[in-house]
Amino acid sequence: MTTVEVQPAPTPGDEPGRAGSARGTSLLWAGLPYLIAVLAAFVVAGVVVALLGHSSAQAFEAVLTTSFRTPLGMRETLHKWVPLVLQALAFTIPLAAGRFNIGGEGQLLLGASGAAAVGILLADLPTPVLLPLVLVAGVLAGGVWAALAAWLMVRFGVNEILSTVLLNFVSFALVDYLAGDVWADPGAGFAATVPIGAGGELAGIGRPPLHVGVFVALAVAVCTAVVVRRSVAGYELQAVGANERAARVHGVRTARVAAGALVVGGLFAGLSGAIEVAGVQGKLIEGMQGNFLLLGIIIGLIARANVLAVPFVAFGIAVLEVGASAMQRRAEVPAELVLIVEALILIFLLLSDVLAARLRRRLS
Amino acid sequence: MSEVVTFLGLVVTAMVPFVLVAQGTMLSGRAGVFNVSQEGVMVLGAVIGFLVSYSVGSNLVGIAAAAAAGAVTGLVLAVTTTYGRMDQFVIGLALFFLCLGTAGLLYRVTIGVTLTPPRIPTLPDVSIPLLSDIPVLGPVLFEQDLMVYAAALLSVALWYYLYRTDAGMRLRSVGENPKSADSLGISVARTRIWTTTAGAALMAVGGAYLPMVYTGTYTEGIVAGRGWLAIALTFFGGWRPQYIVAGAAFFAGMDVLALRAQVQGIGIPFQFVSMLPFVATLVVMVFALRWVRVPAFLGRNYDRESRLSG
Repeated sequence: MTTVEVQPAPTPGDEPGRAGSARGTSLLWAGLPYLIAVLAAFVVAGVVVALLGHSSAQAFEAVLTTSFRTPLGMRETLHKWVPLVLQALAFTIPLAAGRFNIGGEGQLLLGASGAAAVGILLADLPTPVLLPLVLVAGVLAGGVWAALAAWLMVRFGVNEILSTVLLNFVSFALVDYLAGDVWADPGAGFAATVPIGAGGELAGIGRPPLHVGVFVALAVAVCTAVVVRRSVAGYELQAVGANERAARVHGVRTARVAAGALVVGGLFAGLSGAIEVAGVQGKLIEGMQGNFLLLGIIIGLIARANVLAVPFVAFGIAVLEVGASAMQRRAEVPAELVLIVEALILIFLLLSDVLAARLRRRLS
Repeated sequence: MSEVVTFLGLVVTAMVPFVLVAQGTMLSGRAGVFNVSQEGVMVLGAVIGFLVSYSVGSNLVGIAAAAAAGAVTGLVLAVTTTYGRMDQFVIGLALFFLCLGTAGLLYRVTIGVTLTPPRIPTLPDVSIPLLSDIPVLGPVLFEQDLMVYAAALLSVALWYYLYRTDAGMRLRSVGENPKSADSLGISVARTRIWTTTAGAALMAVGGAYLPMVYTGTYTEGIVAGRGWLAIALTFFGGWRPQYIVAGAAFFAGMDVLALRAQVQGIGIPFQFVSMLPFVATLVVMVFALRWVRVPAFLGRNYDRESRLSG
C-alpha cells in the first residue's frame, strides 16, 4: 500500500580508511533533523504561549524539568512511559511491514477488559496464579482484537487503517458496557468496575514505589529490538516493509508476515492495557486509554519505525506529557499545546528530512 | 406515518456530514492523494465553525471560516506530498493530531471551562415552494436546512464534472496513471493541489455542520468517528459521487437508528446499539470491496523523473 523508510538513508563519505570520521558525520546527519525539528517546534510553541499572554520561559521550564526535579516526577514519567512504549511498538511493528495499526487504543481497552475480567471473576486466587492469568488474558484479548483486523485485511482486503479504527469505537462501547453495567462500581461516581483481586496487582518496588510493569515493558522493548534486527522473522518483516513485491518474489509469505505483525502489535497493546489495570488503576475505567494511541503513533513515526529508537523517543514524549499538566497548573498554559508541539516535532522532522536530502545532494 | 417522515427527515440531515466529508475524500483521492486526516479536520471545522459563528453571529461566516481552515490543512498535505514526496498516510496522521491539538487549544483559550456552554442558533429549515407540498417526499427532502441542498447540489456538480466533462476526465487520469497524464500536458502537481485543498475544505464544512444542526454548541467528541466512517463510505461508494450519496443514506440511517434506540430503549443494552454503525460498516466493507475499483494511483506520490512510477 505504501512504503516507509525503515532505515535512515545511507550517507555519503563511507570510504575505507575514514571509518571513524564517516561514522561521526553520519551520526551528525542523523541527529541534525531531530535537533532542528525539536527546536523549531519549541520556537512555534513559545510564540503561541507568548501570544496567549503567558510566560514562555515559565512554560518551558515546567514542561522540561518536572520529570527530573523530584523522585515522584520521575516515577510518574516512568509509569507514563510504559503504555507509551508499548503503544508505540504496537504501531511500529506493523509499520515495519508497511501496515498502519491505528487500533492501539481498542486493543488496549480489550486488554484492560480481559485483565479486569479475570481479576474480578477469580479475585480470590493467590498472586502467583492470578497475576500471570491477568496479564496473559490482557495480552491475548488485545491480540484477538488485532487478529480480527488482520483477518479482514488478508481474507477480504479491507484496509487495515479503517478496520483497526472502527474496532476502536466498538471497544469504547464494550468498555462502557462492562464498566457501566456488568461489573459497575456504583460508588465510583464515574464508569468504573469494582477493583480486581489483590492477587492480580503488580507489586511496587523502591521508594516511591515503581510498579514492576516498567521492567516488563523494558524487557519487551529489548526483546523486540533483538528479534526485529537479529532474527529471520524480523528480517522478513523489514523485507515486506521495504519492498513487498521483491519479498514475495524471494519466497517470503508476505500476507502472513503482515498479518502476524498486526497481531503482535495487538498483543503489545493488550499488554499495555493489562499493565494499566494491574499496575496503575487496579480496575477497568472508562476513558483510561487517554490519548495513548495518538502518542504511540507520534512516537513510532518520530522514531521512523526504528524499534531501537522507540524507547528513547517514548521517554522524551513521557517527559513532555508529565510536564504538560505541570505547565497547565503553574503557567496556566492549556495542556493541549503539548499535543501541538508533538505533532509539530513530527512534521518538522519529516520536512527537515526532505531538506537534508536536497542539501546533501547539492553538496556531493 | 409521521413517525416515518420524522425518521427519514433526520436521516437526510445526518447524511450531510457524511456526504460532504466523503466527497472531499473522493475528490482528492481521484487525483491520487489519500487524505486520512478527516477526523481531525472535522473537529477543527466544528470548533472554528462554532467559535466564529458565536463571535460574528452568522452561521454562514462560521462555515466559511471552517472551510478556510480546512483548506489550509489540505494545502499542507498536498504540497508536502506533491513537492516533498512525503508519505501521504504519515502526513495525514500528523495533520490529524495537529488539528485535534489546535481545536482543543482554540476552544480552551476562547471559551474555557464553563457549566453552561454558549449556544449558537441552529440552521433554520427552508421549505422549497411547491416541492415541499408533495406528501412524504416533500417534508423529507424539501423542508431542510440550506446545507442539505448545498450538499445535494455539490454531489450532482461533482458527478457532472468528473464524468461528463473533459476537465473531469483529465482529473481522474491523474489518479489512475499520472505518467500518461503528465505526458499529455496535464499538470499532475496542480491537479493534486487544488483537489486536496478543496477536499479538505469540504471535510471541515462537514465538521462545522455538526454543532450547527444537532446541539447548537460544541462538545468534545461531537465528531464521534464520523471522519473515519466517511473514509469507509468513500470505499463503499466506489469513489464515485453518486454512489457515495446512496451509501451515505445507509451510514446516516445507522447513525439515527443508534441514537433513537438509545433514547427509547429496545431491551438490549444501549452500548450494543451504539456499536452498530461501526460493526455494520466493517461487515459492509467486506462485501463492498468485491465490486469497488479504487483509483490505481491512490496513496502514491508521483515522481516524473522516476522510471518506476507510471
